[in-house]
Amino acid sequence: MLGILADTLLVYVAASLTRPIQPVLEAFSARTGIVVQRESGASLEHVRKITELHRIPDLLLLADVEVFPQLLVPKYSTWYAEFARNRMVVAYTKRSKHANEINRDNWTEVLRRGDVEVGRTDPDLAPVGYRTLIMLKLAERFYKKPGLAKSLISAASERNIRPNAAELAALLAAGELDYIYDYQSVAESNGFSYIALPDEINLGDARRAREYSTASVRVRGPTRGSETEFKGEPILYGLSVPREAPHPDAAARFLAYLTSPEVINQLRAAHVDMLDHPVVVGTGAPAELR
Amino acid sequence: MTAVRRSVGTIVVALIASLFLLFIVAPVVGLVSSGGARGLATLASDRELLASLWLTIATATIATVLGMLGGTPIAYLLARRTFRGRAVVAALMDLPLVIPHPVAGIALLLVLGRASPIGAALYQAGLRVAGSSTGIVCAMLFVSAPLYVSAAREAFARVDARYESVARTLGDDAWRAFRRVTLPLSARGLTAAAVVMWARAISEFGAIVILTYNPKVVSVLSYDRFTSYGMSEALPVAAVLVLFALVPLAALRALRAGEPVVSS
Repeated sequence: MLGILADTLLVYVAASLTRPIQPVLEAFSARTGIVVQRESGASLEHVRKITELHRIPDLLLLADVEVFPQLLVPKYSTWYAEFARNRMVVAYTKRSKHANEINRDNWTEVLRRGDVEVGRTDPDLAPVGYRTLIMLKLAERFYKKPGLAKSLISAASERNIRPNAAELAALLAAGELDYIYDYQSVAESNGFSYIALPDEINLGDARRAREYSTASVRVRGPTRGSETEFKGEPILYGLSVPREAPHPDAAARFLAYLTSPEVINQLRAAHVDMLDHPVVVGTGAPAELR
Repeated sequence: MTAVRRSVGTIVVALIASLFLLFIVAPVVGLVSSGGARGLATLASDRELLASLWLTIATATIATVLGMLGGTPIAYLLARRTFRGRAVVAALMDLPLVIPHPVAGIALLLVLGRASPIGAALYQAGLRVAGSSTGIVCAMLFVSAPLYVSAAREAFARVDARYESVARTLGDDAWRAFRRVTLPLSARGLTAAAVVMWARAISEFGAIVILTYNPKVVSVLSYDRFTSYGMSEALPVAAVLVLFALVPLAALRALRAGEPVVSS
């Protein structure tokens, strides 16, 4: 009954952000009495819930800020804000095959061995999926090995693809996979070991935006048969409060909390690379973000 | 006065029944009318959907056959024999019904995944559960077999045990009495149980998506189309599944139509 009477905050969270953000949501709820409801999933899945099912949340926290201008602005949201960075890694566990010998210099070779199971996320559904492909293209150029991207992609076969970063991480944790391409924050929050990739390819260095943009991939577009091209760019998480959010005041209160120095430090400790200040694009953002 | 009260009662019951029927039928009719024609029209050209449909039908059929092979003896024992732990076995058989399906997928992964002893042995033998048709069959079998066992048990219970006893007194051993007497008499009920299991298997999503995202069964493809392209592309896929499910369900009704109505 209390849940019905109390103010509510419905948050759609990118699967890769769920683990670190959950304690923040709980602390906010305890502090304010606002009932927080969280739905975790692939970023595009959240978008479809809004555009197709008209289930509008109070707050959206997505893994790729570009999803907002491409699919949600201006109809469903008038603004969005960049709020965190991330970088691509190769994650593994102690029981992964060849875990004792893989390193930053030989990972491309280890991941192509026949006895190794490598997983990745669906590039048509999740930003981490197409970012993996872009990272592999950058790796091919960086390591000067023609054909490397193609062979690494085929080494992570279709059967080892999952729809989002969290489900992929679950398969690694279960021992079903030996290595996965995922975000550093996911690897760290799951307690995985990981190969920190060079800045030239990990999509985590904001100063290398131009360098990253030289690699691109084509994935399924918004209509059947169409294709969308994604160019490489630094990984940036984005957030927004939709125009028709049922509880915009609760969302604004949460954003003030999320961007407080205390929570920024807490999330950084949880391996989310928070920006010092969110970068707002568009108009109508709550005063707490400006 | 009594007659008036009776007819009011009849009207109320009819109203409740109609509302309930509407609640069940309206979403299905909505789905089929929105996407059915388009789904069938694109079936020939949409290779992904066609492949997915065949995969779904094949894996559900294999799961059902395995469910019949493994579930029939248990159902028979539960219906016919009194033994210590019978109630426990019956309760265990119902357990998959109360487990949320994604959790069922995780549980199967723990037991059959590459990191488990069984999964490791299967993997060594070249049979991989996760990310394969085998995983789909396992998920379908786990979530739908209880429905078969429950219905098969009912089917055996409806056959008078005295027929078997007569066959035994005439010299048949237990297996022969089962094969010649009980099985033919319960065949219709067992077939109906298998159809229910098959129908449940083809609709499974939660456990399958954990074990095997690719290759995609129709339920996973429908989710994929919804996420990638929106409702307009997901509806035809889902509608095709419903239309195909109608075939065995109609067959089930036809089977039951031949059953005698039990009256006391």
